[in-house]
Amino acid sequence: MKKVTIIGSGHVGASSALYISEKRLANVVLIDVVEGLAHGRALDSVEAAPIRHYDTRINGTTNFAEMVDSDVVVVTAGKARKPGMSRDDLLKINAKIISSISKEIARYAPNTIIIMVTNPLDVMAYVALKVSGFALKRVVGMAGVLDSTRFRYFLADKLGVNVGDTTALVLGGHGDSMVPLPRYATVSGIPIPELLEKDDIDKLIERTRKGGAEIVSYLKTGSAFWAPAAGVAEMVECVIRDKMRILPCSAYMRGEYGIEGIFVGVPIKLGKNGVEEIIELSLAKEENEALANSASKVKSIVEKLEDERLV
Amino acid sequence: MKKVTIIGAGSVGTAAAFYIAEKRVANVLLIDVVEGRARGKALDLMEAAPIRGYDVHVDGTSDFKKMKGSEVVVIAAGVVRKPEMMRLDLLDQNLNVIDEIIKSVKKYAPNAIIINLTEPVDTLTYYIIKKGGFKSPKVMGVSGALDSSRLREFIAQELDVSSVDTTAIIIGGHHDYMVILPRYARVEGIPISELLPPEKVESLITRTRKAGSEIVESLKTGSASNAPGAAVCDMVEAIIRNTKRIICAPAYLNGEYGHKNICLGVPVQLGKDGIEKIIELQLTLAEKEAFDKSAGVVSNVIKSLELESKEK
Repeated sequence: MKKVTIIGSGHVGASSALYISEKRLANVVLIDVVEGLAHGRALDSVEAAPIRHYDTRINGTTNFAEMVDSDVVVVTAGKARKPGMSRDDLLKINAKIISSISKEIARYAPNTIIIMVTNPLDVMAYVALKVSGFALKRVVGMAGVLDSTRFRYFLADKLGVNVGDTTALVLGGHGDSMVPLPRYATVSGIPIPELLEKDDIDKLIERTRKGGAEIVSYLKTGSAFWAPAAGVAEMVECVIRDKMRILPCSAYMRGEYGIEGIFVGVPIKLGKNGVEEIIELSLAKEENEALANSASKVKSIVEKLEDERLV
Repeated sequence: MKKVTIIGAGSVGTAAAFYIAEKRVANVLLIDVVEGRARGKALDLMEAAPIRGYDVHVDGTSDFKKMKGSEVVVIAAGVVRKPEMMRLDLLDQNLNVIDEIIKSVKKYAPNAIIINLTEPVDTLTYYIIKKGGFKSPKVMGVSGALDSSRLREFIAQELDVSSVDTTAIIIGGHHDYMVILPRYARVEGIPISELLPPEKVESLITRTRKAGSEIVESLKTGSASNAPGAAVCDMVEAIIRNTKRIICAPAYLNGEYGHKNICLGVPVQLGKDGIEKIIELQLTLAEKEAFDKSAGVVSNVIKSLELESKEK
C-alpha cells in the first residue's frame, strides 16, 4: 500500500484523508503541530472504517519523522482566511510555516511529490520548491482543479445537465486573477458558447472567481473544505495510480506561455513523477494577456517575499 | 429497486446485465427465447454477487410475461455480424425477431423506455416506434455512446492520457458514414486538434469508423460485447437515476438537424422520461453535409421497409 502524508489537520487536511481512505488510495499519515489534533481526527476516521469498508490505515501524529517514505506529501498547513481578509494578508504568516515544513519534507521524504494547498498557493509552491531543493516536476499546486470543479458545478446547475458530463479548464493564479477559458469548458464535449449566452457565461465566471469568498461569507468562521479536499484527493490519485490525467494545476514555468520562474495554473499531465508534461494550449490573444496578467500578480508577491528574505 | 428487462441473453445482453448489476443500477431480468440460456447466465451472475458485493437481483427466463413492471426494456436480440458483413445486411433476419418483441413489449411493458441495440440500429429503432406506436421520446437506440467510447479510448491510447478526461461526439447513422466530429473530441476540454497532427486525428477517426468490424474480424465467431454492454449500462443508469446526462443516441427526429420521420444518432439528454431533449449542435456546412449523407443511407433503408404503405 502506498503512503500519503498530509501536513495540517484542519478541515481541508482531514477531509482529504477521508476522500483518500474512501477510495482506498493509500495509507494516510496526518500531521499537525497542535498536540492531539491529528491523532483525534485520524482515530475518528478509522473508527468509521468498519462501516465504510476501507482497510487502509490512518495515523495522526505531531512527529514529522513519521512522514518517512511517503509517496506523496500534501501541505495544507497554515492559517485560514477570515471574512474580509485577502489571500495576500496571509502571505507572511504562511510563508514562514511553509518554509519550515519544506525543510522537514526534504529531510524525511526527499523522494516524494509535494502537493501544495496552502494559500496563496502559487507562491507557497514556489517557497516549497526553493526551500526543499526538489526537482521542478516534484512540486505541484492544487488550485485549478478546485476552481474547475466549482465552475463545472455552477455550469451543470445552470444548464440542468449532469456534472459528470462537464469539463472546465481554469488557468492562472488562484484567486481574483484566475483565467477561466469558456472555449475549453464543455458539456459532453460541446463547448459552452454553443449552449449559453455570453451574459450567462460571464455570470458563471464571476461566481467561480468569487467561489471561495462565497463559502466564507456563509460560514463566517471558516472556509471551504470539501471541494478543496476533493481536488487534493483527485491529484493524489493521479500520482499514486500514475493516471496521466490532464488537470489544471499550478506548475513551475520555464518559458511555457512566455512565463518564467514562477508557479502558475496551467493544464498538466499528472502521473507518478508529478508534473509529467505541461500542455501548451493555442490561446487567443486576450486569453494569453489574461494569463500573463495573472502570472505577473504571482510574480510580484514572490518578489515581495524575496525582498523580505522569506524565501 | 427499479427493474430493467434485457431481451436477448447473448454476449451483449449478458455484458449489459453484468455492468448494471456491478453498478447496482437496478434489478435485471434477462429474457431469451432459447430455453435455459437466460436462466443460466443470470444464475452465474448471481453466484458472483457475494464476492462482488452487489445486492440487486438478476433473473433469467424465456417467459416474456415476466417483463411486467419494467422501467426500461433493452432489446439486444437478433443476429450479429460475421466477418465481411455490414450492419445493414442483418435487416431482414432481425425484422422478424423485432416484430415478435414489439408485440410482447406492447402487451407487458407498454410504458417502459425502450433501448434498442439490434442492428441495423437506426432503422430498427424507427421501426419499433412506428410499428409499436410508442411515443418517440421513449424509444432510442445505442450507437453514439458506443462509438464515442471507442474513439475516446483510441485518443487516450494515442496521447497516453487517462480516458476519463476524454469526450467525443459521434452522430448520424450507425454505419460506415457515421459522422465523427473532431471539433468536439477533447481531452479535459482541449480539442484533439491542439494535441495531435491532422493525419493522426484522421487515422483515429478511420479506426473508429471500422472499430466494430475490427472486433468482428479478430474474434471471427462473434462481435463486440463489453463496450456495447457498457454503453447500454450508461444509458440505463441515466434513465433509472434520472441523471440528465447528454449522450449520443439514435433518436426520432421531427425537424431537428433538418430531418423528419427518421431515427438518427444525435446528442440527447436522458432522464426518467427517456429522451428529454435533443441537443442541436451548431454544425459547420461540411459537418451538415456529412450528416445529410449519413442520413441518406438510413432513409433509403427505411423506405425499403414500405412501412407507410403497409399501414394503409
